[in-house]
Amino acid sequence: MSILRSRTAQATVAAAAVGALALTGCSSGSKDSNKPAGKSQEEAKAQAKPVAMGTAQDSVGPAKPVAGAKKGGTVQVYQEADFSHLDPGQIYVSDAGMLSKLLYRGLTTYTENEKGDQTVVGDLATDPGKSSDGGKTWTFTLKDGIKDQNGHVITSADIRHSIERLYDPFLTDGPTYIQQWLSGAGTKYREAYKGPYKGKHLPKTVLDTPDDKTITFHFLEAHTDVPQALAMAAYSVVPEKTDTKQKYDQSPVATGPYKVASYKSGKSLSLVRNDNWDEKTDPLRHAYVDGWNIEFNHDKADQTKTILADRGDAKNAIMFTGQVDATQLQKITSDKAVMKRTIQGYAPYVWQLNFNMDRVKDKKIRDAISLAMPATSVARADGGAYGGDAATSLMSPTTPGYDAKYDPFNRAKKPNGDIEAAKKLIKEAGAEGKKLVYAYANTPVRTTQANLIINNLEKIGLDIQKKEVDQATWYEQMGKVKNGFDLYMTGWGQDWADGNTVFPPSFDGAQIQDGASNYSHTNDEHVNSELGRIQKIADADQRASEYAKLSKYISEKINPAAPIYYTKVFQIAGSNVGGLRYGQVVSYTDPTTIYLKK
Amino acid sequence: MLRFLIRRVSGAALILLLISAFTFFMYFAIPQDPATLACGKNCTPDALAIIHKNLGLDDPVPLQYWHYLSGIFAGRDFGVGHCDAPCFGVSFRNNQMVWDTIMDRLPLTLSLTFGGLVVFLFVGLGAGLMAARYRGTWLDKIFSGGSLVLSSFQIYFLGPIVLGIFVYSTGWLDKPKYVPITQDPGGWFMGLLIPWIVMATIFTANYTRMSRSSMIEQLQEEHVRAAKAKGMSSRYVFYRYAWRGSVIPIITILGMDIGALLSGGMVTELTFGLAGFGRLARDSVILKDLPVLMGVMIISAAFIIICNIVVDAMYAVVDPRVRLS
Repeated sequence: MSILRSRTAQATVAAAAVGALALTGCSSGSKDSNKPAGKSQEEAKAQAKPVAMGTAQDSVGPAKPVAGAKKGGTVQVYQEADFSHLDPGQIYVSDAGMLSKLLYRGLTTYTENEKGDQTVVGDLATDPGKSSDGGKTWTFTLKDGIKDQNGHVITSADIRHSIERLYDPFLTDGPTYIQQWLSGAGTKYREAYKGPYKGKHLPKTVLDTPDDKTITFHFLEAHTDVPQALAMAAYSVVPEKTDTKQKYDQSPVATGPYKVASYKSGKSLSLVRNDNWDEKTDPLRHAYVDGWNIEFNHDKADQTKTILADRGDAKNAIMFTGQVDATQLQKITSDKAVMKRTIQGYAPYVWQLNFNMDRVKDKKIRDAISLAMPATSVARADGGAYGGDAATSLMSPTTPGYDAKYDPFNRAKKPNGDIEAAKKLIKEAGAEGKKLVYAYANTPVRTTQANLIINNLEKIGLDIQKKEVDQATWYEQMGKVKNGFDLYMTGWGQDWADGNTVFPPSFDGAQIQDGASNYSHTNDEHVNSELGRIQKIADADQRASEYAKLSKYISEKINPAAPIYYTKVFQIAGSNVGGLRYGQVVSYTDPTTIYLKK
Repeated sequence: MLRFLIRRVSGAALILLLISAFTFFMYFAIPQDPATLACGKNCTPDALAIIHKNLGLDDPVPLQYWHYLSGIFAGRDFGVGHCDAPCFGVSFRNNQMVWDTIMDRLPLTLSLTFGGLVVFLFVGLGAGLMAARYRGTWLDKIFSGGSLVLSSFQIYFLGPIVLGIFVYSTGWLDKPKYVPITQDPGGWFMGLLIPWIVMATIFTANYTRMSRSSMIEQLQEEHVRAAKAKGMSSRYVFYRYAWRGSVIPIITILGMDIGALLSGGMVTELTFGLAGFGRLARDSVILKDLPVLMGVMIISAAFIIICNIVVDAMYAVVDPRVRLS
């Protein structure tokens, strides 16, 4: 998934982050300033374990109780900005993803044990699915008596509708795994079927509902991780009779433990219990608290100070996707009692500098730029010492197969760029004075990062032309094949712990088209064939090891993108919040285990 | 008075029409299809076509403008549903009716404006009058000097300091929050107390200085001196004669301040994490959400114009020498 949180948030968060940069001393020359703070990559290994496939028994509710948990109370959430969407079909970003855990249910979901090991299990379905035909066909059976908030019993027709509506052109922000696997890569699926609203269904040879309880997916090719894909929020059920199309974004129908009580766009969202949710059918969610009150317009500094002060409603507060503000780091990390109220972990995103392969064709130039990246300073500009650390490869520490020792661009020894080595390569390439266009989003953080990067690139002899791009349309513009830029930063993170959700979307030649996520336009025969081969490997460990090899090949033989930094999460909660833990699946505070102590 | 009002309201309507036309056509002068802003990351030509149809963007820009104007009086139909009059369109971002969004944000802005107004008028005018009455004394020096210092502060500077002391550190006051007055009058008052005080601290200074200087000027006028010479008590002369004459410049700046605050106390709202009209204005600019931007522009302009008309009418009420012709 690309990092595409709420657009307003990105614009407003940035100012605080720039202030943070000054206070955390990113430009310090001291020896310790480049050491990563917070969660270590060693500790992130739990996150990088492949997802285990659960059984029918694992899919039965209720979820294992949280020790000491009590019922009652309302959790307060402070958010930077409103959710971009409430319609599950449009959800592909972290904040709405957190919300979806409380509101929606799909065919499958993940459970997570104390060690952070993830298992994909049946949620609405009795198990995580049964595959046949070598993995091309997947069949799911619905649990008995699952109802939406209106008391309507969910049937296979609702599931079919939920999948079919994702083909309709008005839904443009969600993931497209299942649609592409069913009806064709890229935008072919859009041409194959236009959605269910004019009364047409997908052919039974594609999606079949032989009875009220059974739904069968017939994919074009074999896929091993269909249960993981279906666990994404976008594949949650949207009951057919209450689907109001575009209006659904404002008043969705819940199947999870909570439903929307009131939604004031740009101001607040409050959730109350969904009385039709039955914990006996749910292997994941607890609903210890009576409700959730989510308030928008609280920037990172405000969220941190309010929760740190721990008064009134803030005692019951958590952050969804907010981060501890860098200006408060010292105060928080030096207080053991406060540190008990925090969670840390790696977010799955790797920020990388893409080379437009259609324009920057000389690999020596790409290698030189990769060597010159001021990785640590760029990371510090986005959240201080606990916000991230220098990336050594295109794989995140949270992706199975990640190798911490692999460091092709010498980040360990030169975390702010190996200028001499880079200069040498530029000279060898005869590229001194070469003009390159660097595009960046017009937020303070990205502007600061652009300045840091351009400063180093000019040191190695390149002539960089800056192009500011509106943050609101950043990914749309970078996603155009003829975007007119040479260099641009994008962030990508796994959708679930598997290289399948990192490498095919980013480096498959078939994904070179407007709106697709192969931002560097990588189209290498070996990579394409390897992606096809690896995706069919059934064994997750073997797949991880093959992706690790492919990652090295991509960086060493092609180098379409310079890894810059891995993002980290550091959040704080109020003192009355119990069940606080870092959720491996959501990469933030796990909302499903929260309770209030008093 | 009636002729005055008819003339001014007609002028105001014309100004609002010009502002709306200017905003509308300027927006469409930007070389970017507004539908792309609403289209999301997997935008396809089909999706764009749907947005064009739903938002009425297929028509020529002048026709779109006509539809916009007529919608304000007669309502409109969009692909996402009917928009009742007064219809200011549908947000490009979230398909919500702009008028509903504006009405949702307005109560906070009204509360902030009029609550702050009570504080800064009461304190500011009181201090100014006292300073004028005791001109040259230590009281005058304290009020005059204090107002000079306070007027140099900014809300974005003072606000975080007040929050740091009274909310985050001591916990003496609640974090600013808007609770409708109809729901919980006590919560409404406590939730907005800090923004009112901070806002009033800065605005008070202007009113103290303005009322002091205006009062001193009035006290030297001949009619005031004549009243004193007739043997009227100084207290009576001060409040009955001098005060009335000194009010006109205060009404002038009050009219401008109310207009500006109603059209969006943006800095106050951003400083205290409140979501009123000011924040809506800022968000609509950042998100390039034309219908919301238009709605905010027109309503803001209407507030300023109405305040100006009221100020002009007030001149005649306060000073009979002023004729509304």
